[in-house]
Amino acid sequence: MNEIAFLPIAAEILLLGGAVLILMAAVTLNLGPRTWAIIAGTTLGLSFLVAWVQWWRIDDVGSQIHYTGDFLRTPMVVMDYFSVFGGGLVIAAGGIALLGGWRLVGSLEKRGAEYVALVLLAVAGLHIMVISANLILMFIGLETASIALYVVAGFTRDRPDSDEAAIKYFLLGSFASALFLYGIALTYAATGSTSIYGPTGIVAFFAERAITEPGVLLIGIALMIVGLGFKVSAAPFHQWAPDVYQGAPGAAVPLMASGVKIAGFAAMARVLTVAFDASISDWAQVISALAALSVVVGTLFAIAQSDFKRMLAYSGVAHAGFMLTALVAGQSGVPGLWFYLGTYAFQLIGTFIIASIISGAAGGASPLDSYRGLAKRSPVLAGALAVLMLAMGGIPLTAGFVGKVGVFAAAIDAGYLWLAIVGLVSAVAGLFFYLRLIVLAYFNDPDPALADEPITAPRSSRLALAVCVSFTFLFGVLPWPLLNLTSEALPL
Amino acid sequence: MEWFESGWGLSLVVFLPLIGALVVLAIPKAEEETQKWTALLFAGASFVLSVLLALRFDFGEAGTLQLGTNVDWITAINSNFHIGIDGISLPLVVLSTFITFLSIIYSWEHWPEPHNPKAFLVLILILATGMAGTFVALDLILFFVFFEVVLLPMYFMIGIWGDRNEVTLPVFNITTQMRLYAAIKFFLFTLFGSAFMLLGFLVLYFKGGRTFDMLELAANGAEGMLGSGLAVWVFAALALGFAVKVPMFPFHTWLPDAHTAAPTVGSVLLAAIMLKLGTYAFVRIAIPILPEQSQNWAPVIAILAVIGIIYASLACLAQTDMKRLIAFSSVGHMGFVMLGIATMTPIGINAAIIGMVAHGVITGLLFFLAGSMSHRYHTREMARLGGNQKLMPIMGAILGFTAMASLGLPGLAGFWGEFMALLAAFSPAAGLSTTLFRTLMVIGAVGTVLAAGYLLWMLQKVNFGDPKDEWAGHEFHDVDIFEKMAWVPLIIAIIAIGVFPRIVFGATNDAVIKLVTSAFGG
Repeated sequence: MNEIAFLPIAAEILLLGGAVLILMAAVTLNLGPRTWAIIAGTTLGLSFLVAWVQWWRIDDVGSQIHYTGDFLRTPMVVMDYFSVFGGGLVIAAGGIALLGGWRLVGSLEKRGAEYVALVLLAVAGLHIMVISANLILMFIGLETASIALYVVAGFTRDRPDSDEAAIKYFLLGSFASALFLYGIALTYAATGSTSIYGPTGIVAFFAERAITEPGVLLIGIALMIVGLGFKVSAAPFHQWAPDVYQGAPGAAVPLMASGVKIAGFAAMARVLTVAFDASISDWAQVISALAALSVVVGTLFAIAQSDFKRMLAYSGVAHAGFMLTALVAGQSGVPGLWFYLGTYAFQLIGTFIIASIISGAAGGASPLDSYRGLAKRSPVLAGALAVLMLAMGGIPLTAGFVGKVGVFAAAIDAGYLWLAIVGLVSAVAGLFFYLRLIVLAYFNDPDPALADEPITAPRSSRLALAVCVSFTFLFGVLPWPLLNLTSEALPL
Repeated sequence: MEWFESGWGLSLVVFLPLIGALVVLAIPKAEEETQKWTALLFAGASFVLSVLLALRFDFGEAGTLQLGTNVDWITAINSNFHIGIDGISLPLVVLSTFITFLSIIYSWEHWPEPHNPKAFLVLILILATGMAGTFVALDLILFFVFFEVVLLPMYFMIGIWGDRNEVTLPVFNITTQMRLYAAIKFFLFTLFGSAFMLLGFLVLYFKGGRTFDMLELAANGAEGMLGSGLAVWVFAALALGFAVKVPMFPFHTWLPDAHTAAPTVGSVLLAAIMLKLGTYAFVRIAIPILPEQSQNWAPVIAILAVIGIIYASLACLAQTDMKRLIAFSSVGHMGFVMLGIATMTPIGINAAIIGMVAHGVITGLLFFLAGSMSHRYHTREMARLGGNQKLMPIMGAILGFTAMASLGLPGLAGFWGEFMALLAAFSPAAGLSTTLFRTLMVIGAVGTVLAAGYLLWMLQKVNFGDPKDEWAGHEFHDVDIFEKMAWVPLIIAIIAIGVFPRIVFGATNDAVIKLVTSAFGG
C-alpha cells in the first residue's frame, strides 16, 4: 500500500486549510467576519460531508487501518464506523458551537479571525483523537486541541477571571496531558508498542503473548485513565471545570465543554475497550468507581451552586459519570455511550448558547438570579431552556431519557446493578437543580429593573439554539435513527 | 370501521389531545375564545371516540386485549409501540377522557390566577394524552414515557397557577409560596419512585427474555423465568414506583400538599385520574409479570393499605382546610383500592377497579365543589364557612350528595368498591393468611365508619348552621351554567354506577378472572 489514502484524513486537511485561509484572508486581504464565516462554514460543512462519504466507503470495503510509509509500517489512522461517527459528531458539535457563539467573533474585531482559526484547529485536533490508531498520534491530537483551547479560554483579556480560567486550564490540562503521555510510555514498556492495531499492535500483543510486566501495564492504564479523566472532567479530576466554564468567554465554552468530552470519551473508549479489552476486569472496577464518584460529586456540588455556568460544570461532571457508567460494559456499552454523548453534547451547547445570550457572548459569570422570570421576558428562550434542562435531567420524550436508559441498561447487563442504582438516585436528585431553572424562569417574576429590558439574540445564536433544541426533542420522541447509527458505530 | 379497530381509533383517543395542544399553541394569545373551543373540540373528540371504542369493544372477549396495535418503535432495545385495551383498562380510558372533557368545560369561566388560558389548556391536553396513554400502553418503555409525561404538565400547573399563600417549611425554616413547595415536592417524590420503577423495568428486560412487552413478560413470568432471588427486589422497585403515585402510606405526604396547592382543575385531574395510574400499574404490570412475588408482598401491601385507611381518616378529622380534608380522604379511598388488589382475588381486583372509577367521579366532583366554593368565599377554612346550604342551596345540595357518595352510601358509586374490597379480604387468595386479612377487614371496616364521621363533620361545618357574620351582605352566585354542565354528568355517573355497577363490572369481570387465573393458575 504505497499510495497515500486521503479520505481518512480529509477532514483534518480541510480544517487546517480552512484555518490557514481565514488567517490569510484576515491579514493579507483584510477581509471581514463575513468571509471568515463563509470559509469556516464551508470547511466544517465539507468535513461533515466527508464523514458521510467515509461511512459509505466503509459500507463498501469495510473498516480500514492506514499505516505510515513502508519503513516501519506503524498503524496511524483507523477508518471504522466508530471513528467516522465520532469524527462527524466532533465536527457537528464544533460547527454548531461556533455558529452559536458567532456574536463573539464580531465583537473581537481583528482578533476574531484568530479565534475562528483556533476553533478550527481545535476541532481538527479533537478529530485526530477520534480517528487515531496510535497512542502517540492520539496524544498529538489531544495537544493540538488543548493548546488551541487554552488560548481560546483566555481570549477576552480584559477580564481577570478569564485570565485565571486560561491559566488554570493550561496548568491542569498540561499536567493531565503529561500523565497521559507517561501512561503511553509505560504501556509501551509493558507491551512494546504504541499502536493499537496491526501485527505488532497492543491488541495483537494481548492475543499472542503473556504479559511479563503486569504492574507496569496497570500503572500505564491508570495514568491514561487519569489523563483522559481530566479532559472529560470526571471526578475527582474535575476541579478545573467550574472555574474555566465560568471564566472563559461565554460563547467559547460550548466547544470546550462538548467537543473535548466527545473526543475524550472516544479516545477512552478506543483505548480501554479495544486496546485493553483483554484486561477489562482490571479497569472496569476503576471506571465504575470513577463513574459512581462523578455522578454523586457532580450532583451534590451542582445543587450548591448559585451561578448557572458553574452549575452546568458540575452537572457536566455528573454526566461524565453517566457516560463512564456505559463504559464499564466494555464494547457492548459503546452504543449507549455514543447516544448519550451525542445528545448531551447538543444539550450542553444549547444551554451555553442561552447562557451567553443572557450574560453576553464575552461574559463570564451568569448568576442564577438573572434567569428569574425569563418566561415573561422571552417565552421562546425560556421554552428552549426548559426543554434542555428537562433533557439533562432525563425526562421522557427528550433525548436525555433515551440516553440514560441506554447507559443504565448497559451497566445492568454488565452486572453493575449497584452502579445503575447510584446513577438513578443521583439522576433524581439532579432534577432538583435542573428544575430550579424552570422554577426561576416560569414561577417567578422578573427583577423589576430587568423586566422591560428586551433580550436580544443574534440570528446565528437563535439558529444554533433551534438546532440543539429540535435535536434534543426529536431524538427523544423518535430515537431510532440515531440508535441505529450508534449501534453500528463500534470500534474495529 | 376496519381502520378504526386496527389501532387507529385507540391511537386517536390518546393523541388527539396532544394534537389539540399543538393547535392551541399555534393560536395567538389574545384569541381566548378560539383557544377554548379548539381545546374543547379535541378533548370532546377524544371522549366521543373512547365511547365509540367502548361500543365496538367485544365484551364477550373482555379478557383479551382488543382494538390495539403493535408496531416497531425503538428497535435497538426491542421496545414497541404496543397498545390495546381489555376490560380492565376500558373503564379507566373512558374515565380519563370524560374527566378531561368536563375539566375543560368547567375551566371556561374559572381561570385561576395568573389567567393565561392558552398555557393552561395546553397543559390539560398534554395531561390527557399522558393519562389515556398510560392506560393503553402494553410496552414497559411506552408505559414509562406516558407515566412520566403526566408529571410535567401537573408540575407546571401547580407551580404557576397554584396556591399563592405563604408557608413556612418545618425543618428548613424557609418561607415560600405554597405552590412552589408543593410543585417541587410532587415532582421529586414521583420521580424518585419512577427511578426505581425504571430500574425494575430494566431488570425485567434483562432477566425476562430481553423484551419490554408486557404480554410476553407476563407469559415468561408465569413460567417462572424471573426466578425468585432477584425478583423480590424487582417487585419492591416496581411497587415503590407505583406506591408513590397511588399514593400508599407512607409515601403519601406529597399528596395533601399537591392537591391543596393545585388549581381546581389540577386537583380534579390529579385525584380523578392520576392516582389511578399507580393502582392500575399494580394490576396491569406487577401481578401478571411477578405473580409469585405479588403474593409474597401482598400482606405488606394490605397492611400498608389499611394503615393508610385509618391514618387518612384520622388525619381528615384534624383538618381545618376543606380541600386538604378531601385530599386526605383520597389517601383513605386509595387504601381500599390497594386492599382489594392485595387480596389477589377476582372480587378484590374487581372492587379495586370499580373503586378507582368511583373515586374518580366522586372525588373529582368534590374537588370541583371545593374549588368553586373557595372561588366564592376566598377561603377554604371550614371554621369560616358554614351555612353554605342557605347561601347557595344548589351548591350545598350537590356537596351533600357527593359527600354521601364518598362515604360509601349504598346505591351510589362509592359503595361497591369499599364493600367488595372488605368482602374480598374475608377470603383472600389461597396462600395468603386468612387471619391477617380478616383482621385487616375489621380494621378497614372501622375506617368506613371514620370516613362517614369526617365527611358528616365536614358537611356539618360547611353546609349546616347559619352563615357566619362576615358573609352578611354578600351576594353569592349559586352554581353557574358551566359548573352545571361539568357536574351534572358526574352526578349521573355516580348514581348510574351505584345502581347498575354492571356498567363497570360487565367490562372488568372477565378480564380480571382471566388475569387472576393466568397469574395464579386458577
